[in-house]
Amino acid sequence: MQACFLDCAAMHRHRLLAIVPIAAGLALVVAPDAALAHGLVGREDLPIPKWLFGWAAAAVLVASFVALAVLWPEPRLEQPSERRVAAVPRFLDPLAGALGVAIFALTLYAGFAGDQTTTNNLAPTLIFVLFWVGLAVVSPVVGDLFKALNPWRAIARAVAWIAGRAGRGLPEPMPYPQRLGRWPAALGILAFAWVELVYSGRGDPSNLAVLALVYAAVQFVGMSLYGIETWNRYGDGFGVFYGLLGRIAPLRWARDGLYVRRPLSGLTGLDVVPGTVALLCVIIGTTSFDGLSGGAAWGEISPQLTDMWRSLGFDQSLALELAFTVGLVASVLVVAGLYRFGVLGMQSVDPRDATPTAEVAGRFAHSLVPIGLAYVIAHYFSLLAYEGQRIGYLASDPLGTGANIFGTNTATVDYTWVSATAIWYVQVAALVVGHVAGLVLAHDRALISFADNRTATRSQYWMLVVMIAFTSLGLWLLSAANS
Amino acid sequence: MIAPLAHVGHWAINLLYVAPLVVVVAVLGYQTLKDRRQLRREGGQERRAPDEAA
Repeated sequence: MQACFLDCAAMHRHRLLAIVPIAAGLALVVAPDAALAHGLVGREDLPIPKWLFGWAAAAVLVASFVALAVLWPEPRLEQPSERRVAAVPRFLDPLAGALGVAIFALTLYAGFAGDQTTTNNLAPTLIFVLFWVGLAVVSPVVGDLFKALNPWRAIARAVAWIAGRAGRGLPEPMPYPQRLGRWPAALGILAFAWVELVYSGRGDPSNLAVLALVYAAVQFVGMSLYGIETWNRYGDGFGVFYGLLGRIAPLRWARDGLYVRRPLSGLTGLDVVPGTVALLCVIIGTTSFDGLSGGAAWGEISPQLTDMWRSLGFDQSLALELAFTVGLVASVLVVAGLYRFGVLGMQSVDPRDATPTAEVAGRFAHSLVPIGLAYVIAHYFSLLAYEGQRIGYLASDPLGTGANIFGTNTATVDYTWVSATAIWYVQVAALVVGHVAGLVLAHDRALISFADNRTATRSQYWMLVVMIAFTSLGLWLLSAANS
Repeated sequence: MIAPLAHVGHWAINLLYVAPLVVVVAVLGYQTLKDRRQLRREGGQERRAPDEAA
């Protein structure tokens, strides 16, 4: 289903507050109308029913929880240690920046000047597959690669450098408003997800090029107001997203060298500012909607929502977009509600602790990062595995004009190199590993947040419930989307 | 009402995805109640101790 935006030309696509969206989510799972008369025909050749994978995943999470309670009595990730293993040549940073600018320029050029057929143009595959999914898969391994490639940052730094050399310099940036936090990044990722999953013109390369220019313009304004690095740390949706994923990695790139650290330990140093939890809920929620929108449940709900909007006077296309927008936002709210439920539960184990709920939510926000990654891998792995191959012929013919720059323009997409069964196993493994990593991070943080280990462990009952809920939700969405 | 019942096999399978969550919530809920009772007992014993000493 994730591949659909490339292939389909037409549009396809305090406690009470916490309980309401959860109830909505559960109702969606069990709603009889949602799955009426739809057969669950799996393409995979699995030895056990798919739902049994949900049980196995829950068992793994419970076993991990018990193992953490027994074998992990001291925080191990909270005081990260790292060691420098290599120097980083000074030319590497501007070189990577120039490469990023070149790729961005090529994407824009292809978008405006190339064939406007989605699969014949480099822009859609580069943006939705290699950039959005490919970088998300690479960043947790090699570190924050996007920071080096970021074309907007590279251009801004080049302008600042030239201004400095010219002796003029640039005006001092304004102090970044604390209240803004990572909210601009959350809105940026939500807007991107909307384009990817809702916008009917997403398959049009020129539309994508215009939107990329608009996004770049917003970044330039942000950087000029608040400073390049500050804006990239808090305001640039992609900068923040890949920066978070890069914190999972055992590598950290700095000006003075390459550092090695324990995987996940980079996340414990995440500064929690407003909007951090929202950004993570947006990542998980929008990815969930990607799965949901490919399933039978949404197939039953969306026509009703669309009819509702049409009855209010909107035309079919706009009504469909509005229906999908409602689904997208509802998915984010369900995820946010689940997390808030877990946080409120954690607070309940120590009634003497008067820490505000938002602060506790922020304290454990880093545990959502591996879950976000798990959701992205689980939902988009097939997209990367299949649609990513298009780069073979698009590299030689980026504009779809019949060019053959590297002699590969006859390359095709091999849909048999990885089986549906293998994809299912990758999806399940990603979800389980991501949620176990989330449990580890939450447990480690609980050990320094609560008065004693016993209270810390009891507080994590709630996080265990949240993790199992996310895992079950993820597997259900995937099984529905794959059917 | 008839249609959902006639297709119960189709949608009921969705419940199996929620089942592990329900089981874990039930077990942890029971454990939480036990913990609270034990804490209350321990608290009560601590409060009684000075009286007994007097």
